Amino acid sequence: MTKKMLLVVAIMLIAASALSAQTRDQPFAGGHWVAISAAFGMAIASGLCGLGQAKAVASAVEGIARNPGAAKAIQLAMLIGLAFIESLALYTLLIVFVFAK
Amino acid sequence: MQESEIWITRIFNDHFAGFANSILGIVGIHSKRPWTDSMVMQLLVALLLMVTFAILRMRLSADRPGKLQQTFELVYEFVQGQAQDQIGDAAKRYLSFFGTIFLFILACNLIGLIPCFSSPTKDYAVTCGCALATFAYYHLMGIVANGWRYPLQFAGPMWWLAPLMIPIETISHLARVLSLTVRLYANMFAGEQVTLVFLNLTYLVAPVIFMGLHVFVGVIQAYIFMLLAMAYVGGAVAHEH
Repeated sequence: MTKKMLLVVAIMLIAASALSAQTRDQPFAGGHWVAISAAFGMAIASGLCGLGQAKAVASAVEGIARNPGAAKAIQLAMLIGLAFIESLALYTLLIVFVFAK
Repeated sequence: MQESEIWITRIFNDHFAGFANSILGIVGIHSKRPWTDSMVMQLLVALLLMVTFAILRMRLSADRPGKLQQTFELVYEFVQGQAQDQIGDAAKRYLSFFGTIFLFILACNLIGLIPCFSSPTKDYAVTCGCALATFAYYHLMGIVANGWRYPLQFAGPMWWLAPLMIPIETISHLARVLSLTVRLYANMFAGEQVTLVFLNLTYLVAPVIFMGLHVFVGVIQAYIFMLLAMAYVGGAVAHEH
């Protein structure tokens, strides 16, 4: 079962590398679609990161409520987690700013 | 993107362009105005840090520590505590790199908030340089600590997993460089862009809130860069040490 899966994955990878070797002579002609797809991409990224940060903050606040003595450590861990999740949304914002002239 | 220069860069380009072109000429780049904002601001931040540490060194005293010494003792204890959490007791020999990278990135992030200065870290080349330096540092420390058995940790827990583990580990290590670069760059660049957008919309009060957020984000991102550097050094050094 796993050997067949590995064979299928290997064939797909080889096919992907062959298919991606196409000539790229035309310039990047996105036009107006860049703005629309950038907006949708950013909206999805922000929404999902908002959900992720909500879960992180919820568990942190519950942890502080259960154990007020560990508040500083929990707060530090919460801030680190929030910054990591924030960076994921910012990767998408970077694409928006790089591609939108 | 428009190429506007701040006042220091204009001074450097007017007077020291030949010097920069002679250095860039080694790799074959010639430009009319070779100094970029980020290059000049990096040198300025390095100069400021060196002057601060020179003053600190002159005023070190065990009996009556001044405010500067107490501040940097706090910073030192903070960095040492974090390093001991991540690496263990062998953390002392790596503290110089962690402290330097933390203070450099912190100063680079915060200097952009002063009017007429710009953050070097909102240029991806600067953050890529910091990430590559961290990459080289933790591999070098792994080789120093573990000898020539260091690359064996890429093979995974069992020897027959090696052909699968080695590409995965290689890509994951390269992804560390990418994520360090893009995290710091995107945070600083996006913070500045958001401030500029709100400066365009409402001329007086709203951008100040975003600059406050930018201070907070700059401190957190410098701390996270240092924390990840410590985690990578810990992973490289702690293997069967």
